[in-house]
Amino acid sequence: MAIFERRSKVLGAAAGVVLVSVTLAGQAPASHGKPLPRTAWGDPDLQGIWSIATITPFERPATLAGKPVLTEEEAAELEKQTLKTSNQDRRDGAGTDVDLARAYNDFWWDRGTKVVSTRQTSLVVDPPDGRVPAFTVEGQKRATARAARGYDSWEDRSLWERCITRGLPMIPGPYNNNYQILQTPGYVVILHEMIHDARIIPLDGRPHISPAIRQWFGDSRGRWEGNTLVVDTKHFTDKVSFRGSTEDLHLIERFTRTDASTVRYEFTIDDPKTFTKKWTAAIPMTNTDEQIFEYACHEGNYGMVNLLKGARVLEQSK
Amino acid sequence: MAMVGVVLLHVAPPVRAHHAFAAEFDVSKPLKLEGTLVKWEMINPHSWFHIDVKAPDGTVVTWMIEGGSPNQLIRLGVTKHTIPVGTPLIVETYLAKDGTNKAVGRNFTLPDGRRLFLGGSAPGANPNK
Repeated sequence: MAIFERRSKVLGAAAGVVLVSVTLAGQAPASHGKPLPRTAWGDPDLQGIWSIATITPFERPATLAGKPVLTEEEAAELEKQTLKTSNQDRRDGAGTDVDLARAYNDFWWDRGTKVVSTRQTSLVVDPPDGRVPAFTVEGQKRATARAARGYDSWEDRSLWERCITRGLPMIPGPYNNNYQILQTPGYVVILHEMIHDARIIPLDGRPHISPAIRQWFGDSRGRWEGNTLVVDTKHFTDKVSFRGSTEDLHLIERFTRTDASTVRYEFTIDDPKTFTKKWTAAIPMTNTDEQIFEYACHEGNYGMVNLLKGARVLEQSK
Repeated sequence: MAMVGVVLLHVAPPVRAHHAFAAEFDVSKPLKLEGTLVKWEMINPHSWFHIDVKAPDGTVVTWMIEGGSPNQLIRLGVTKHTIPVGTPLIVETYLAKDGTNKAVGRNFTLPDGRRLFLGGSAPGANPNK
């Protein structure tokens, strides 16, 4: 078993770390006007393990202002350049913060090697400039306060650092980008690999729970609009926040099977206390033959102890 | 095409991870450690390699070296036995700010200079990775 190799994973990946499309046995392909797969009880079939790993940036970079979609050639060039710049095996800049931020060798990371299949230049698709709208005055105040948080307590750190949840909505990360969707009559389950969260979403039209009850994942209700699963989530706890959102966030997610290997995932952020207008991002979820493994985070989170101890040592040295 | 390349060079997404490395480790304290693997904690959110490092006077000090989440490695067919205990390793690190014998494993190599590479060749590995 060879465990050592001269080349880096990124260089090796040039041949194509591509999310594998899966032909669904016994079901007609969805593309070219053929019917989409359906469950035995007739709902559109979204089931499978899906990856949202991508190198497409969340917001459109200033260098691509006015350009919502890349050509195939531009996409290939972006992939090539991104793999080069994000290669964690490179050691130029040793002794600098950039090198430290690269952290580990490249084999640990799985942030994707491809732009999204639509070749959109940002995951944010509305507003049309691909940028998250400006904060409200109140939202900006909270953002400034958040940025100033240090290491006095674990409670100053993010919920992800604390191993509590990666939260909603689903966004690409540096690793563990897989999600599993399961369906039964009346329910959809979405399993998140990162922090192994599971959402059980009823589809039977029941009303939301009382707003007096606040939850880490809010309270989700699903419904079908044509072939699209729409999931409406409210009543988040004030302990969670997505890009500064408050407990009043109204999250609307849409899942649409667009072909045998793709579910289009779209989410809209509606939180007037934080953003000056609603905004929407869209991420193609790609079917993968990879398995999901448990991400038991809290018990092994030595990093949190190290962060806080490091901060105490620095305080004493001043 | 060259123009596109120049523009896109600035598009690479920032490195994001489970925690802020600069808060846990000290960029002003790089250290190259040469030792042998005595234990690999293949745990989330970060793996930890324990290596014994022998000083010139013969005393042995155990260091803990932080790595990444094992989930991706498991998908590639790697187990905690893939790198046997006793394997000699050279690790370029940055020391932990808390002053203990901990560091982040910035670059793992073998004594002959080959870079540690996990995945692709182990049983069950995804050959496309």
